[in-house]
Amino acid sequence: MAEEKEKVKSIDPATVEMIEKAAQDGARTVFERAVTTRPCPIGAEGSCCSICAMGPCRVPLPKGREETPEEKKKRTGVCGATAETISARNFLRMIAAGAASHGDHGREVAKIFLKVARGEIKEFEIKDEQKLLQLALDLGVEIGDRTNNEIAVNVGEILAGEFGRQEGELLFLKRAPLKRQEIWRQMGVSPRGIDREVSEAMHRTHMGGDQDYQTLLLSGARTALSDGWGGSMIATELQDVLFGTPSPVYSQINLGVLREDEVNIIIHGHEPYLAEMIAVVAQDPEMIKYAQSKGAKGINLAGMCCTANEILMRHGVPIAGNFLQQELAIVTGAVEAMVVDVQCIMQGLVEVARCYHTKVITTDRRVHIEGAEHMEFDEHHATESAKKVLKAAIDNYPNRGKNVRIPDHRTDLIAGFSHETINYLLGGVFRASYRPLNENIINGRIRGVAGVVGCSNVRVTHDDVTVKMVKELIKNDVLVLQTGCAAMACAKAGLMTLEAAAEFAGEGLASVCEAVGIPPVLHLGACIDNSRILMAATAMVKDGGLGDDISDLPAAGAAPEWMSEKAITIGQYFVSSGIYTVFGATWPTLGSKEVTDFLFKEMENLYGGKWDFEPDPIKAAHLMIEHIDKKRKALGIDKARERVLYDMAMRRELT
Amino acid sequence: MKYKVEEKSAPGRDKVEVLGATFEEGKPETGGEEGRWRQKMGSRSDKLKYLRSGERYWYGKEGFGSEQRKTPA
Repeated sequence: MAEEKEKVKSIDPATVEMIEKAAQDGARTVFERAVTTRPCPIGAEGSCCSICAMGPCRVPLPKGREETPEEKKKRTGVCGATAETISARNFLRMIAAGAASHGDHGREVAKIFLKVARGEIKEFEIKDEQKLLQLALDLGVEIGDRTNNEIAVNVGEILAGEFGRQEGELLFLKRAPLKRQEIWRQMGVSPRGIDREVSEAMHRTHMGGDQDYQTLLLSGARTALSDGWGGSMIATELQDVLFGTPSPVYSQINLGVLREDEVNIIIHGHEPYLAEMIAVVAQDPEMIKYAQSKGAKGINLAGMCCTANEILMRHGVPIAGNFLQQELAIVTGAVEAMVVDVQCIMQGLVEVARCYHTKVITTDRRVHIEGAEHMEFDEHHATESAKKVLKAAIDNYPNRGKNVRIPDHRTDLIAGFSHETINYLLGGVFRASYRPLNENIINGRIRGVAGVVGCSNVRVTHDDVTVKMVKELIKNDVLVLQTGCAAMACAKAGLMTLEAAAEFAGEGLASVCEAVGIPPVLHLGACIDNSRILMAATAMVKDGGLGDDISDLPAAGAAPEWMSEKAITIGQYFVSSGIYTVFGATWPTLGSKEVTDFLFKEMENLYGGKWDFEPDPIKAAHLMIEHIDKKRKALGIDKARERVLYDMAMRRELT
Repeated sequence: MKYKVEEKSAPGRDKVEVLGATFEEGKPETGGEEGRWRQKMGSRSDKLKYLRSGERYWYGKEGFGSEQRKTPA
């Protein structure tokens, strides 16, 4: 990893400008903290065990040389746990934490969904009947002439039951290709219930529990699958029913979406209920009038992190930035309120806000921050909750100081590519299909598909790794699907516009993008929406011509700037679903060669997908392309074939 | 309308002349409604019909693609 002082902090000019302003203003941001707080090298490689009070035990590999067998024997915790066990336990705990986060998000959605269906919450409604019917077909719920709410009660009860399910298999596993379902059964990794797998993972990793790295990693696969095909998928689907399935929408991204003469409110986090309501209330003439009474011209709502992706995908609300820009938004001096819900919220926000007038407002019962104002969201009175937050922001407008500088950087983008929308765009209402995509992969115009997802990480140059990787992929005719903060990095770089195809993509990919009218990099939503990538991959398999399973597809995954435990969970469910997945930045099992080899090599024999680690974005892209080419060769589509027109005699010979 | 002709190449064939884009430069001013394809299906039966055809991979009655094979690969 490069030294913090030497490396460029960001490729994004708005970010660089605000880092400089923060330094002038004396505001300490993540970019400064990263210089003084260095990552622990032993923890970074997964060689520190802190699960009992006899430790923490540190069992690092010797530096710069191979360890001797005697040294390896001694490299244990005080309980005798080997470096392999310690590394695998740490890895499994990361997966469990990620699955728990997405799962708890899904549970919260299911809870609100059921209350809406039962009429206990009046201010949300079922917006997407088609998605509701889709779920009813999935779950075997009777449709007939029943009302949407009656159907929704059954759908909600069944899906809420998936969290506490004790036996059997998660119901959404049936959406996967048949061969994939069989692989999971054979491996014994079909998840039984969402909470059950998380709970078992925590039990297995307790002191004195499972001490075989291979079975620990099998549990990791099962736990991760309970997220991808469980918690995350439930959250995405039910949010689609409540707020609408995304369809293409124009918007803008970067700190330049903030406005000097309006009340700026940033919605940050991951769960979209309050944000949905704020988006509605911000257009209320009464609220606008109130803002004007305080001297502002209006109310400007912008998103940050994955709550931003949620309201971008469904309403086109502009995005102020990704994970590493959260404090920098406050540094502009133009943000009246930073409204946060759950996940990826830096505690440093409060300290930065002290330098300006910004109010940091926590809104979820599960996330409180010392020094922030807590205004808990009440789903039963959603409008009232949204108005209260909005009013607090408007009341803060007169407190805005003179030290305001909004970077003049914003980029156009098109978002809203749910897997249903991709299907529609490829064929229209009467012949919606993944066939054109498969055909163009078979004929070589498109080389393959890559899911490039994940976070932004201060230990690498902000946005640089993701953007370089994605540019290299599309240049080589690989269609890129994105979610989360990685999607925002590419949107800022201008890769999510129709014009990007001609400018950045290879000739084959560009011709398809131009014909269909899509960018070469498609935004599929928040990090919870990686389940949409699983569904798109499944549709490609089911459409035919590209094998029987996700692992047969010329496809790969990556999280080049990952930082959160959720990213590891996502990576593991990609791998366990058959996708070759490359991570950048750092890798948390390097302290154990055996564990790393199991993840990077053996997993391919078990699941058809495996992990890899490559911090260099171009090299990582080439690893993905190499894998895509390997799959093309296995499918027999690696070279152009002579087209032969069969006459009747030749056809008869075939039978 | 005056058509633009562009020269394009595709894998495995020579360059060909094709009609270029015919859209006007600029951004649409339709209030964000241009992408809202799901609203085209009004009734419940239209929606179910679309699910069974458009989303046939999961909701069609027959098997699809590779899963339609009599002998698994």
